[in-house]
Amino acid sequence: MSLESLDPRVNRLNIPDQFEDEVQKKELDQLTTFEVFLVPKEGKALESVGIVHADDSEMAFVFAKEAFSRRFTCVGMAVCPTHKIWASEVTEGEESAFDFIESLDEQNEGEEDQCEIFLMDKRGKQHKHATSVLAYSYIDAAKKAKEELGNPLTKNIWVIRTRDFTFNEEEDSDLWATLPEKTYRDAQAYRAADKIKKFKESQTK
Amino acid sequence: MYGGGQIFDQSMNTGLENEDPVKLQEFEARITRGEKIEPSDWMPALYRKQLIRMIEQHAHSEIIGALPEGTWITRAPGFKRKMALMAKVQDEVGHAQLLYSAAETLGKNREDMLNDLINGKSKYSNIFNYPAFTWADSCFISWLVDAGAIVNQLANAKGSYGPYVRALDRICKEESFHLKYGHDCVVALATGSEKQRTMMQEAINRWWAPMMMFFGPSDKISVHTEILMKWKVKMASNDDCRQQWLDMYVPKIWELGFTIPDKNLKKNEETGKWEFTEPDWVEFKKVINGDGPCNKERLAVRRTAEERGRWVREALKSPNISYQTPFA
Repeated sequence: MSLESLDPRVNRLNIPDQFEDEVQKKELDQLTTFEVFLVPKEGKALESVGIVHADDSEMAFVFAKEAFSRRFTCVGMAVCPTHKIWASEVTEGEESAFDFIESLDEQNEGEEDQCEIFLMDKRGKQHKHATSVLAYSYIDAAKKAKEELGNPLTKNIWVIRTRDFTFNEEEDSDLWATLPEKTYRDAQAYRAADKIKKFKESQTK
Repeated sequence: MYGGGQIFDQSMNTGLENEDPVKLQEFEARITRGEKIEPSDWMPALYRKQLIRMIEQHAHSEIIGALPEGTWITRAPGFKRKMALMAKVQDEVGHAQLLYSAAETLGKNREDMLNDLINGKSKYSNIFNYPAFTWADSCFISWLVDAGAIVNQLANAKGSYGPYVRALDRICKEESFHLKYGHDCVVALATGSEKQRTMMQEAINRWWAPMMMFFGPSDKISVHTEILMKWKVKMASNDDCRQQWLDMYVPKIWELGFTIPDKNLKKNEETGKWEFTEPDWVEFKKVINGDGPCNKERLAVRRTAEERGRWVREALKSPNISYQTPFA
C-alpha cells in the first residue's frame, strides 16, 4: 500500500505507507565542508559568508553560487576547503588575536607561499580579507600580517594559502548579471497598497 | 520561516553544578557585555545542547515548511506566481542549509541532524503538520506564517551565538520578499471574485488555530526558561511573540474584510494586550508528538528523498575526503 496525499506529486512517488527500520546515514554522507567568500561590490574586500557541503572545490563553487548569491548579487566569489584554514584564538574586549601569535613557533623552511589574511574585527561579524603576504608557514604569515597591518585590534585571524582557493574566472563574472531581471523575488516588486485602497473605497460606497 | 515556541522538559536538569564556576562566570559576563559567543569558546553543556536543539529545529522547520508550500508550485495561478513561489521555496531550503551549518559548528554533524529528523527524534514547527488544501492555504502560509517566523527570527537575531546570528541576518534579509509576496497573493484573492474571497476566508478559518499555537504554549504553562533568556538563547517569550504578531497582522486581515474565527478575539485597550480563546494545547501536544494530519507524510517524503538520492551522493563522494568542523 502506498501513502496517500493531497499532493499529486507525492502520490506519484509511490511512497510505502509504513517504514520498518530507522534511517542511519553513513559517515560523510553529507560530504565535507568548504568556506565561501564573496566580494559584495566592486572595490570591497573579499568576505566570509558561510559554508557549503561538497566533495570538491568545483562542486562547492556551484553550491556556493546558489546558496550565497542567489538573492543578493556580488562581483566575485571564492571557496576553500575548511581544513585548509588556519585559525587563531578568538579573543575579546581589548585583547587582540595578534597578541597570541608571538608565542607560537613557526617553521621557516622550504619555499615561501602566498597567503591571504582574513580578520574578524568584532565577535559575531564575518571575517574580511585584510592583506596578502608571502610566508613560510601559517604562523609566519600571521606574524608578517601583524607587522604589515600595524598590529590592529582583531578578534580572530584566518590564514589561507592562495593556492587553496578556487576563485571564479574573470570572464564568469556575468554569472550574476541576470539577478536584477528576477524582480518576482524582490520585495519591491509587490505593491498591494493601491489594491487595498481601491478595495476599501469600493466597500464604503 | 520558523516555528518558535521552545518546549522544554518539565524537569530541565541544568547540570550547572558540574560546570567550572570560573569559566561559567566568564562566559556569562561575556554575554552580559553584549559580546557574541564563537564556536571555539568554552560554553556550558546546557548552552550547547539547547542551541543545537533550537537551531536544528529551526532548520528542520525550513525544509519541512517547504513541503506544504511546494505542493502548490505546479498549480499556482499563472507563470509569475509559479516563479515567485518556486523562488520562495528555494529560499526556505537555502535557509535550512544556513541553519544546519550554524548548528554544525556546535559539534553535531549534519548526518545526525537529518537522521534525527527522519526518525522522528527531533521536532520541527508544528504548523507544517497541517495540510494545504487550496491555493489560499499556501497564500496564508506565505504571508501570515512567514510573518510569525519573522517575529521570532528578528528576536533571535539579537541572540548570543555568533554563527546563528550571522545565519539569521541573512535569512531576515531574504524574508522581506516572502512577506510582500504572501501579502500580495492574499490581497489578490481578497479583491477578486466572491469565490476567491470565500476560498481565502476558508483558509483563514482552517489555519487560525494552528497559527495561534505557532508561537508555543502560553508563558503561564510553559516551563521556566530564565537561564536561556539570561544566556540570550531565547530572546522573547512565546506570549510576547504572539502578541506582537496579533498587533501587526489582525488589523491587516480585518482591513481586507475577512473575519477571524475567534469570537473572543479583541484588543483590551486598557492593558494593550490581545485577548483570545486559549488555544487547544492538548491538540498541540498530540500533533507535536507525531499524531497530526500530516506528520507521517512529511517524514515519509523526507525519507524518500534521502533514500532515493543516496546513490547520487555516493557517486559524488571521493574516497579520500575527510571532515573538519567549521570554524564560524
